[in-house]
Amino acid sequence: MSSPLLSVSGLTKRYRRGGKTIAAVDNVSFHIEPGETLALAGPSGSGKSTIARLVLRLVQPDAGDIQFKGEDFLALGGATLRARRARLQMVFQDPLAAFNPRATVARVLDDPLRIHGIASRSERPRRIAALLERVGLSPDLAPRAIHEISGGQRQRVAIARAIATKPSLIVLDEAVSALDVSVRGQILRLLLDLQREERIAYLFISHDLGVVRAIAHRLVILDAGTIAESGDARTVIDAPQSAIGKALVVAAPKLDRTGP
Amino acid sequence: MTALLSIRDLTVIYRRDGSEVAALKDISLDIAVGERLAVIGESGSGKSTLALAIARLLPASARIDGSIDWFLRPPPTLGAKAPPSVLPDISPSRGEIALSSPPSPISKVAGEDPTAKLPISLLEGEMSGRTEGGLMERKAQKSTAKPDHTPLGGRDIGFVFQDPSASLDPVMTVGKQIAEVAHTHLGLNWPQAYAKAKTLIERVRLPDPDAALRAFPHQLSGGQKQRVAIAAAIAAGPKLLIADEATSALDTIVQAEIVALIRQLVAEDGMTLLFISHDIALAAALAERIAVFRHGGLVEIGAARQIVSAPRHAYTRSLLDAHLGLDAEPLSRQAGPSA
Ligand SMILES: Nc1ncnc2c1ncn2[C@@H]1O[C@H](COP(=O)(O)OP(=O)(O)OP(=O)(O)O)[C@@H](O)[C@H]1O
Ligand SMILES: Nc1ncnc2c1ncn2[C@@H]1O[C@H](COP(=O)(O)OP(=O)(O)O)[C@@H](O)[C@H]1O
Ligand SMILES: [Mg+2]
Ligand SMILES: [Mg+2]
Repeated sequence: MSSPLLSVSGLTKRYRRGGKTIAAVDNVSFHIEPGETLALAGPSGSGKSTIARLVLRLVQPDAGDIQFKGEDFLALGGATLRARRARLQMVFQDPLAAFNPRATVARVLDDPLRIHGIASRSERPRRIAALLERVGLSPDLAPRAIHEISGGQRQRVAIARAIATKPSLIVLDEAVSALDVSVRGQILRLLLDLQREERIAYLFISHDLGVVRAIAHRLVILDAGTIAESGDARTVIDAPQSAIGKALVVAAPKLDRTGP
Repeated sequence: MTALLSIRDLTVIYRRDGSEVAALKDISLDIAVGERLAVIGESGSGKSTLALAIARLLPASARIDGSIDWFLRPPPTLGAKAPPSVLPDISPSRGEIALSSPPSPISKVAGEDPTAKLPISLLEGEMSGRTEGGLMERKAQKSTAKPDHTPLGGRDIGFVFQDPSASLDPVMTVGKQIAEVAHTHLGLNWPQAYAKAKTLIERVRLPDPDAALRAFPHQLSGGQKQRVAIAAAIAAGPKLLIADEATSALDTIVQAEIVALIRQLVAEDGMTLLFISHDIALAAALAERIAVFRHGGLVEIGAARQIVSAPRHAYTRSLLDAHLGLDAEPLSRQAGPSA
């Protein structure tokens, strides 16, 4: 077997708050294979987003090791880090917060192509149109401002931006949580298509086990910064072993469609 | 069923930059006394507009047609001590809500004076019970109705919004915010109002009630803040509790706790519940009836069981199909159109 795409071990991040130190992430280890979806689930405050930020190197860990494509990711700097960053993209819950709302769709997609030197200035409009089509949007949307398109369209633009640099891993933090159910289904299918065709791996963060079960291969359940349990997503959800895993399953809204 | 309120041909049109959006189109429905009614629909379907119309909180720029008739019995002891208040007990979080506007004769109040007509009122974005912002409106209404005996009083509607931070005052202690509602609407003096606030904090099961009274909103988690918002919303003993996406920003475990809390409080106090959600499974778990909205129209309304097991409308079926339950086939194994 090939080595994992991402391998995290002993990851720890502490925050000081009100004179006390809390471990937002406490000695967490996991790995992701190429083309695989690993879900992180857990209640609010369990450390999911902190792990996302650590993996993206938006914050520095207090301890632990991150290997990305066999390299010591935490040791990278300068041009090498910038180059590797192109392979590791992100999509967050609120696409409006991630972009300047007045920026146009074209501008949002132009940035990564330019910054990572993926396409020349003259080539970029064509690439932008292709990216929009790739995520099921009309290229006519390019001149529209981000605040002038729907939430589902914005999330597709966020995905288009993420795939612009041909990443091997995308970190999605509650990326479908704010979407209407029909749009959510479309976005999840889009993610599956992209994964199948381009072998992109996902670190998929959600507190919604229904969504996790629909899309993830494996699942890590977090509680207070530590791993409560992990395994095959369906196996864990169908028979959770940890207290928090059981609580998450019990709390998930159930729909009983059988008649009275 | 005895109606608490009856909505007929309600149309709401927002005007913005010269363009018009019909947020609600010809809506007619009754809300029965003591029932739990859920309103579901996708974003933009008009759910919040319905809630704001019922609470008379629509912005001044909105054009409103149709009627909302209330069937409230007159409060038995609205004595001289209780401050007259015609304003609903709400916590609007929307900055765009204007202070005042020409009254539109939409909301009739049946009961003591069945012919009383109240305008849809507009209230400054303020915390429950802190109705100073509505003073002008109050005066405006005094001329058209009998506010001192108007059943649709400040205590009759409690409102809980999706974002508790927006409805809570960041620089006021939790205890004061809840006490103020009791002080304003129940005419309690401050020591009594604080005692009431403590009881409410216990009822919404905030840990360490004494500490919670003195806490500021930012010191509480999202779920705890929502408990505070619920305590403030029910402080004046409203007939109708409106929860607009009140659990949507919470994780599933906290969401389940808050839903259980709302269910219990509504039962204990005999309140009527209008529960607004985009989650059909959550709505079916809590409500007795479900109204399905789409593009500002009422698609169907019926018993929760019927809506879920035998929907009449294809749109309702599509909402049910899109639900991702813990028993659903993983998407990767489903044949289906790609996005
Ligand atoms: N910058 C920070 N300063 C102080 N504490 C922080 C900071 N960021 C996160 N925390 C704390 O770390 C813990 C984990 O937070 P994190 O945002 O990772 O949770 P989460 O699992 O993503 O929760 P949610 O489901 O609410 O998004 C929490 O106790 C949080 O308050
Ligand atoms: N204050 C407002 N000004 C202009 N348009 C609005 C305003 N509030 C809501 N709308 C529009 O009215 C429609 C219904 O919105 P809303 O009632 O908030 O729906 P929901 O709560 O179901 O998401 C949408 O098209 C929305 O954009
Ligand atoms: Mg988070
Ligand atoms: Mg709404």
